[in-house]
Amino acid sequence: MDAAEVRSSNPHPAIHGGSGGGGGYTLPAVRFANEDILFCIDVGPETLAEMKVNGPNGRPYTRLDSIKQAIMLFVHSKLSINPDHRFAFSALSKSTYWLRKEFSSEVDASLSALRGLSVDSSASQADLTQLFKVATHEAKKSRAQNRIFRVILIYCRSSMPPQSQLPSTLKLFTLDVMYLHDKPGPDNCPQVVYDTLVDALERISEFEGYIFESGQGLTRALFRNMCQLLCHPQQRCIQDELDLPKSLVKKSPAADALQGDDNSVISSQ
Amino acid sequence: MAIDTVPPLISAQINYLIGHCPFSVKVEQMWSGCKNPNLLDRFTLVIPYCLDHVKWDVIFNAMYPLAAPDVIFGPEDEGFQPYASGTGQPSKNSLANWNSRDPSRLYSLIVELRDAYMAFQRRRISEIDDERVKFEFSTMISREGIEMYMSLGTDKPEEVKFAVPLLDIDLNKLVAGCTWRHPQKVYLQVIFPVGKKYSSVPPPPRLKLISSPELKALLSTEDFKLPTWVDGMCTAEYLPNLEQMLNTQIKDAVSSIEIRRKFIQSLAPHLGRPIEADPVFCRRATFLCSSGLFTFQVHCALSLQFPKQQPALVLQSSQHFNAHGAPVKSPTLSEYPWSPRWNSSEKADRIFDFLADEALNFKKNCNQLNQQ
Repeated sequence: MDAAEVRSSNPHPAIHGGSGGGGGYTLPAVRFANEDILFCIDVGPETLAEMKVNGPNGRPYTRLDSIKQAIMLFVHSKLSINPDHRFAFSALSKSTYWLRKEFSSEVDASLSALRGLSVDSSASQADLTQLFKVATHEAKKSRAQNRIFRVILIYCRSSMPPQSQLPSTLKLFTLDVMYLHDKPGPDNCPQVVYDTLVDALERISEFEGYIFESGQGLTRALFRNMCQLLCHPQQRCIQDELDLPKSLVKKSPAADALQGDDNSVISSQ
Repeated sequence: MAIDTVPPLISAQINYLIGHCPFSVKVEQMWSGCKNPNLLDRFTLVIPYCLDHVKWDVIFNAMYPLAAPDVIFGPEDEGFQPYASGTGQPSKNSLANWNSRDPSRLYSLIVELRDAYMAFQRRRISEIDDERVKFEFSTMISREGIEMYMSLGTDKPEEVKFAVPLLDIDLNKLVAGCTWRHPQKVYLQVIFPVGKKYSSVPPPPRLKLISSPELKALLSTEDFKLPTWVDGMCTAEYLPNLEQMLNTQIKDAVSSIEIRRKFIQSLAPHLGRPIEADPVFCRRATFLCSSGLFTFQVHCALSLQFPKQQPALVLQSSQHFNAHGAPVKSPTLSEYPWSPRWNSSEKADRIFDFLADEALNFKKNCNQLNQQ
């Protein structure tokens, strides 16, 4: 989490560099469920804000561009881990609407759903009631197939906390949030937005939900957070103890000399 | 543009069949046989039999939805006439008592027909004029669950195949947390040539161990070394030794799960808590690691030969993408220092060292790819 930006309101903030789940990790022999993952992508005007790196041909690279790439990173990675996970897609302007309703484990289905994303410049207020209602309904179907349901919400509004009414049945699905925002200033309130999102997550999520935020505009951080969201909900530790990615650096002087080039690079396209 | 649809009464029958059938039956293709080319009222069912499949065409008529279907069997089974009782009594069978509104009728029909087909094959085999086949038939016929099949040459029987289920244990119960829908089994496939006159002792039959598909996560039948068939043996004599060996193999396979589980757990202090691991067969785990600011995943696959064979590792970048927009992966890394005799912390240490070095190579290669 970017310190000095938005702080977790959790009373037990993570100790940086803690031992995390390493010593205590066990893999008990329990039934394992494949996932149905519903992405909900903010298409409000703030998704047109530029990230800190240029795209190919020197074109500006917007938040929405990086979100699309981050989602494809997630989908490809998730399918490399386990080809039986499935994905569906929706967008959030004032309320939510479907981009792709049928769950699929085909990469092309994800690609074509993302091509259907278009920014709604008028959207300012967001309401998540419909998203939670639909997710509760879809989750029942997934659970009947011995799958678990997850919503990954990607939210980008720095001055507008989302509104929502809670669904009638809670904790039928896991809720994760990726929050991209501007630096805090006199005209916005990313901390209030963040706290609202944390509150929704804690009330609604079946398993431990993860929330990450970034105000720096760095794609590297966004991609790293998306990889952290790969964690299977049934096998998660609590977010405060999440100590990933794990550094694979040998403690020797020779290793330090090779650490040099860490430029964040994006697509070769 | 009209869309092909399956009439509701027919699709109800098919759904019930697929949901309730004790063997895994599949619909291979559907087509229309009635005046309306968009109504799919005919289909081919693929039915497992004797470690192979038979294909039967089920013929409904969408214009006459209350009528019972016809079933057409394969060309080599011309003699199979299941409901031709010839005694003058009205036969009690699912075709005669067809009720199109009861969705379970197709299921009952197919189960009945498969049983009748088994009886038909047995009858044909019992009539074969071959001493060894007659003997094998008489000694094996009473074995629970055995299936038999006779294949034809140009105009006479060519081979007889037995599918012998092995070990009367519930394999599904052996693996904690497994979600196999159908009961899993290992079979011995025995194939005898027919009709050749043998001067002294008939040659050994062709033998193969075949497991139901989902068992592959637990057990490899390819690696199983079958006991030798001694000249003059019969199947009934061959089985006890084989079953004892298989029983040991299965026990080893189940305890191997625990060996793999402990290994995955031992990697966590070095590679971090896995982002996902298979808790039932413990064949795979993925870790999220970094080298400096470079974040990547490590996919770890454990074969059934673990720990003799080391895990296969693949690195996947979170920051580099190929021309198709997919995150770049390393080639599979399976040649690195390894000894099954190291204790678990030594194994984990060595993998950590290998990956720490390999991560630097991988990062360099990814950066070079992007500069091209």
